[in-house]
Amino acid sequence: MLLLKDKAWSPYTAGIIIGLLQIPTFLLLNTALGASSSYVTVGAHLASIVDPAAVQVQYLAKHMEGAKSWWQVAIVLGIAIGAFVSMRLSGTRRQSISPVWSRAWGVTSLSARAPIAFGAGFLMLLGARIAGGCTSGHGISGMAQLSAGSTVAVAAMFAGGILAAMLFMRRV
Amino acid sequence: MSVTLAILIGLATGAVFGFALEKSRVFEPGIIVGQMQLRTFLMLKIFLTAVVTGLVLLAVMNGVFGVALHLKPLVWRADVIGGLLLGAGIAFAGACPGTTLAQIGAGYKDAWFTLAGGIAGATFYGYFDVPIKAMFAESGEKVMMADIIGAPYWLVAIGFAAVLVVALFLLEGLRPWRDEVGTDHDGLGEDNAVETGSTAIGTAAR
Repeated sequence: MLLLKDKAWSPYTAGIIIGLLQIPTFLLLNTALGASSSYVTVGAHLASIVDPAAVQVQYLAKHMEGAKSWWQVAIVLGIAIGAFVSMRLSGTRRQSISPVWSRAWGVTSLSARAPIAFGAGFLMLLGARIAGGCTSGHGISGMAQLSAGSTVAVAAMFAGGILAAMLFMRRV
Repeated sequence: MSVTLAILIGLATGAVFGFALEKSRVFEPGIIVGQMQLRTFLMLKIFLTAVVTGLVLLAVMNGVFGVALHLKPLVWRADVIGGLLLGAGIAFAGACPGTTLAQIGAGYKDAWFTLAGGIAGATFYGYFDVPIKAMFAESGEKVMMADIIGAPYWLVAIGFAAVLVVALFLLEGLRPWRDEVGTDHDGLGEDNAVETGSTAIGTAAR
């Protein structure tokens, strides 16, 4: 199983494996691969702890129940586990923050990076839920289904990312 | 389907997903920022390969076995504005909603903050979904591109997959993936380090 201990696989191998995950998803769950809805599920449950009225917010309520909601939470949890196992097998342990932030923003500490990361995550999921999907839902799944809406969203996603990276970051 | 079974399938699916994300290095902020600065193309390669695989699989599943597709509606303002914000967030986070979890698994500590911010952002949207949708004032149909030209999905899907494969061949020829993985497998090469000695900081931090 030397392959599993490799530090880097070809993007083509990885991409095919990821694409193949549509098989159990479509056949067993009757849905397409996605990730951002899980953030709503977790957030809605956390919100309901401090705000009991959260369950009356229709958007939050519809993400709180059902096999599909919890399936996606399990997916993202699984992603963390799978990445951890892969890292342990190959020994590519990551340090606290990536050196890219030193190059892009002169940021070298976790404490400096933390508020930026929080804000970035907020922006990311706000945008994803406005669009109704992210790189998995609109990207990997939407474009594979020839969805026009997803194509628009993915184009906008790359446009937004490229503008942000070119205008607000030093060249890495 | 029972919630328990759905969770088990989700965990298994996610574990494979996360493993592939880590092995391919696409979860690395260096790779994501590099892609958005059009310096590296690893993210695009994985993305398009996954799309090609999906197109071919769904052409069979839908075309031969009638498995239903699950399209999202075409809502221009929401798709464009949401996409722009999402893209900017991805650049600043060096991650997308899925790879944030892979970063956590691989050991990046700032990803925990990205996750927290993401949960906050998603919840914030949930509370304001009604007024935001009212502001966009649009409704949309689930538009599938093959329908626009009146062809069956499987045919256009295979055709599109073929075009993407050609594009990937060309891209790989121009920018081999092995050149982009980076010295420490984080998408950052020693050769294009900034003169301020950021490489030294990176090395010292290890």
